[in-house]
Amino acid sequence: MSREVVIRGVGTSHFGAFPEKRVEELAWEAAVEALEDAATERSELGAFLVGSVFGPPGIAARVGRGLGIGSVPAYAIEAACASGTAAFHEAVTGVADGRFDCALVLGVEQLSTLFSGAIVPEATDPEGATGLPLPGLYALQAERYRHLYGLDDEQLAAVAVKNKRHGLRNPRAHLAAELTVGEVLESRMIAEPLTLLQCCPTSDGAGALVVSTARGEPGEVRVRASALVSGEPWDHRNPEEWGRLSVARAAEQAYAQAGVSAEEIDLFEVHDAFTIGEIITLEALGIAPSGEGASLAVSGHTAFGGAQPVNASGGLLSRGHPLGATGTAQIAEMAWQLRGHAGERQVAGAELGLVETMGGGAAGMDGNACVVTVLSKS
Amino acid sequence: MSDDVRTIDVAGRVTKRRSGPRTGGLQVADSRPPVIDGLVVGVRCTVCRHPSPQPVLRCPVCFGEVAPERFGPGGIVWSSTVVHLRVSGREPPFALAYVDLDDGPRILAHLEGAARVMPGTRVSVVGAADGDIQVSA
Repeated sequence: MSREVVIRGVGTSHFGAFPEKRVEELAWEAAVEALEDAATERSELGAFLVGSVFGPPGIAARVGRGLGIGSVPAYAIEAACASGTAAFHEAVTGVADGRFDCALVLGVEQLSTLFSGAIVPEATDPEGATGLPLPGLYALQAERYRHLYGLDDEQLAAVAVKNKRHGLRNPRAHLAAELTVGEVLESRMIAEPLTLLQCCPTSDGAGALVVSTARGEPGEVRVRASALVSGEPWDHRNPEEWGRLSVARAAEQAYAQAGVSAEEIDLFEVHDAFTIGEIITLEALGIAPSGEGASLAVSGHTAFGGAQPVNASGGLLSRGHPLGATGTAQIAEMAWQLRGHAGERQVAGAELGLVETMGGGAAGMDGNACVVTVLSKS
Repeated sequence: MSDDVRTIDVAGRVTKRRSGPRTGGLQVADSRPPVIDGLVVGVRCTVCRHPSPQPVLRCPVCFGEVAPERFGPGGIVWSSTVVHLRVSGREPPFALAYVDLDDGPRILAHLEGAARVMPGTRVSVVGAADGDIQVSA
């Protein structure tokens, strides 16, 4: 990157079902917290970049109205579940390239006013029109993984037990609980082999990040790498699960930019929309060889207190998954961890962190987009 | 929710989302591959032979010209699941599978019987129900 980029401030709303709120209220809660955390004047902002899937249309203007951001470029970016981190990536490249010195990134989603239950598949997509819900798409991943490498249902459940437990230390999480593997497996079946407690809640929420040039101020979190890749066609030529190669491509770019390897990363926030997602993602990120990611939660390697904690925030499984907000919430969590401000869930020795967000759902694509970013203490 | 919360009633709500007629939205073009005479209609590249289940204008691999082709009925299961949610009017449980048609594309199909089958299992296209491709082991 041509100019060094930092995160100066972060903020989030609470995560949960808030159908009584306006979308803007969720956004303003996160944005005000981030601007105050960054001690940034609105006049310093050179861009306002919003990640959201379901908007509403005009979301940047509607939210901007309540913040008085002014006439700087303000627009929304949509990359499915990676929308928030895609907006962050745009801010990072904009600052690095000198297009602006400081930007406000917002991720926001309100699902409780759109869907009663699981997200209705996209009717314009051939797979959505065939009745494939998102948990079904991940269930097909899990069954393929089982065929290629072997997989016990208990290994899947261990991911849910870990992340739901992590969420108990996160006062903003949507659904946190102390559960047993048996309770996870006995919860209602959604798409075989995935049970209800292996699926993220459909949530409302927002996250915001102030991204700027480095100024050497305390509290700055350094952006060591940011890589965004799109999915490539995924078809009869692909023996591996959809999504795996997209994450691997983004990770390869990010590790090269940062000049680090997977073993050096202290903690991760990754896209665990469904339990199998965390397992495949950790393999694609290089934490374990293919087929061995399923043992990471079981062994405790990825637990709070383990060698490389994954989703200390509770992840999507516990915090919830307001699509566009998720990436910004992941980055906010990582910033709190690296500053040592994560309270009860503070990971000891957190100096180098990685955030991964995966957006999927387009038929015949290896994901819609994947973003991997590497952050460190300044 | 407390008493002083104000919301707008659901009745008459219009969203900008194309949810499709199966869930109460407006009509949308059917993107599912048609099944004619028991075969799945798609296209194949005239240059590199890459098959596509969607009627793309050019080959996504080499950008060559494509021509219509019918695929199947045989194929092998890549992966399968049983869905226990009601999805756009479909009553659960129902099974779905990605199927690699012989010398053809990978398609998503409904699998006869509400049970998962092993990847690699041979299946045949047996038709379409309400536009959903159906396969049977």
